[in-house]
Amino acid sequence: MSFSIKENKTILFALAFIIIVGFWQPNVLMDGIQRGSMYAVIALPLALVLGILGVLNLAHGEFLTVGLYISYMFYNRFNLDPLLSIIPVSIILLVFGGLIYLLTVKRVIKEGHLNQLLLTFGISMILLEGVKMIWTTRPRNVFTDYAYASASIGEFSFGTYGLIYLLIAVLVLVFLQLFLKKTRLGQATFAVGQNPKGARIVGINVNLVYLFVFSISIAILGIVGGAMLPRTAIFPAVGSPYSLKSFALAAMAGLGNLNGILFAGIILGIGEAIINAIPGYSGWADLVFFGVLIIVILTRAFREAR
Amino acid sequence: MNSKNIILILLAIALVFPLFAGPYFVNVLTTIFVFLALSLSWDMMLRTGQLSFGTAAFFGLGAYASAITVLKLGWNPLFSIVIGGLFAGLISYILGYAVLKLREIYFSITTLAITSVFSVIIRNMSDLTGGAGGATFKSAIFNGDPTKIYYLLLFLTLVVIGISEWFKRSKIHFAINSIRNDEVTAKSSGIDVFKYLLLVFVITSIIQGVIGAVYAQQYAFVEPESTFSLNFLLLPIAMALVGGIYSTNGPIIGAFILGIISEYLKLIIPYGHLIVYGLIIVIVVLYMPSGIYKTVKGKMLTNNGRRESYDHT
Repeated sequence: MSFSIKENKTILFALAFIIIVGFWQPNVLMDGIQRGSMYAVIALPLALVLGILGVLNLAHGEFLTVGLYISYMFYNRFNLDPLLSIIPVSIILLVFGGLIYLLTVKRVIKEGHLNQLLLTFGISMILLEGVKMIWTTRPRNVFTDYAYASASIGEFSFGTYGLIYLLIAVLVLVFLQLFLKKTRLGQATFAVGQNPKGARIVGINVNLVYLFVFSISIAILGIVGGAMLPRTAIFPAVGSPYSLKSFALAAMAGLGNLNGILFAGIILGIGEAIINAIPGYSGWADLVFFGVLIIVILTRAFREAR
Repeated sequence: MNSKNIILILLAIALVFPLFAGPYFVNVLTTIFVFLALSLSWDMMLRTGQLSFGTAAFFGLGAYASAITVLKLGWNPLFSIVIGGLFAGLISYILGYAVLKLREIYFSITTLAITSVFSVIIRNMSDLTGGAGGATFKSAIFNGDPTKIYYLLLFLTLVVIGISEWFKRSKIHFAINSIRNDEVTAKSSGIDVFKYLLLVFVITSIIQGVIGAVYAQQYAFVEPESTFSLNFLLLPIAMALVGGIYSTNGPIIGAFILGIISEYLKLIIPYGHLIVYGLIIVIVVLYMPSGIYKTVKGKMLTNNGRRESYDHT
């Protein structure tokens, strides 16, 4: 993989930033990495759908909410551990995502952004309100002892559970890379992402690829849902902010740059963790992603204008 | 009967409505005006090909700007409504200047984000805004007289309808249409796309800010949760889609249909009645691009045999 000099510079700056934060406040760095890899693993499927289908899925966060609630249902009804529920939840979401694709998204894939955005916005509202109808707005919690485990290096002790997101993010990334490079369906997916018309001409079943990519992306949210449940109080709007945060990461990393998303996620996570650590200003941490988004948009506009 | 007469009759009914209707119905119609104006302003932006999710954001911004000028500075409520509109316009100008160069996905996503951004800012600036608990006024505008509020909103709604019609007749309309249909052609025929988009974005945001300010003054109350409510985003979109987009009539018809239906929906489905509007959006996008009203009307006319279908030869 080759990086241009400019990208190298950005990465060096970012690494320097991470190291400085690490020496200054190790807790903040650890919190940022855990938070950031969670953002990254949520953003990966959004970026995948955006890259291959060209559709920005505004219902992304709500699919995550659905995953969290189904995982909660397994815990509540069958006393299934949230981490074990990852398997059934991701299978359910795989089917659910596929159905939603076939019923709705498939029909607007050749239309303009306007219809796609409106449609996925409508879907996000249906999912959000549907969750409210089924489970009401009462917040729910799950208790597991491992969620509060901690470890220490010398004087510095930290919660270890959040590292599971880093693990999942790396696993998902490795799996996606291997899949895109080594398997036939993966190569077809890659080809469709590059040039859908050309892919169709050489005999690739583009519709099947779209269906597959959309379902897989929703299934990944099922994995995240199961992993998030032990540390997250869930309510109907719990997933909603992640659509925007995911888009901010995808835009920051650039289209098609899946590895960059993990990196961008960790930078965003550390940024939020820094604001969170300043006493009295923790409420402002939610705005970091918006700052990132505006900076990305301005640099794009500036580059296009030249 | 031509359409001019229908408009005059409807206007006459609207003018005398509070004289014979009870306060409940006056209130229902007032609320319909609020959503009608929001819906029309959303549609005006859509006519440029830009999908905005910022109606609730500028609505809330106007509401808060107006609330702060009344509560902290003690200004006249009517004047504070003007301030609400101007403040929303100012912020939309800055924001539009930054993001309208890229448009499409970037514009939509920014407008979607600002609702939560504004509400986070307002929650955290609690000295000025009252924080998460909100702020209550000493008294509502016109001492809460529903008839006067009704006439104020009727007046504002007519102004918004006027702006929408003026857009359709002036050269702005042609510029806007050409931007939506083919931006490259628009640019090459000398249309300053960016300038027109910014103009429409600022005007529609001012409308949303003014309506938000009136709403805050009407209920004498602002609170992040309810002032930036999803209602003020979802309903206007659904209304425009029901009546038919890219027109002045569409949002008006849609606002009346959904405005009346929503009163019942709140009673039938206490949790999650907004699901209906989500379904409406999905159905219209997938099956009825010209809006539910026109599609149903067209079907009924052909069923009665009054209108022949063109391909039936």
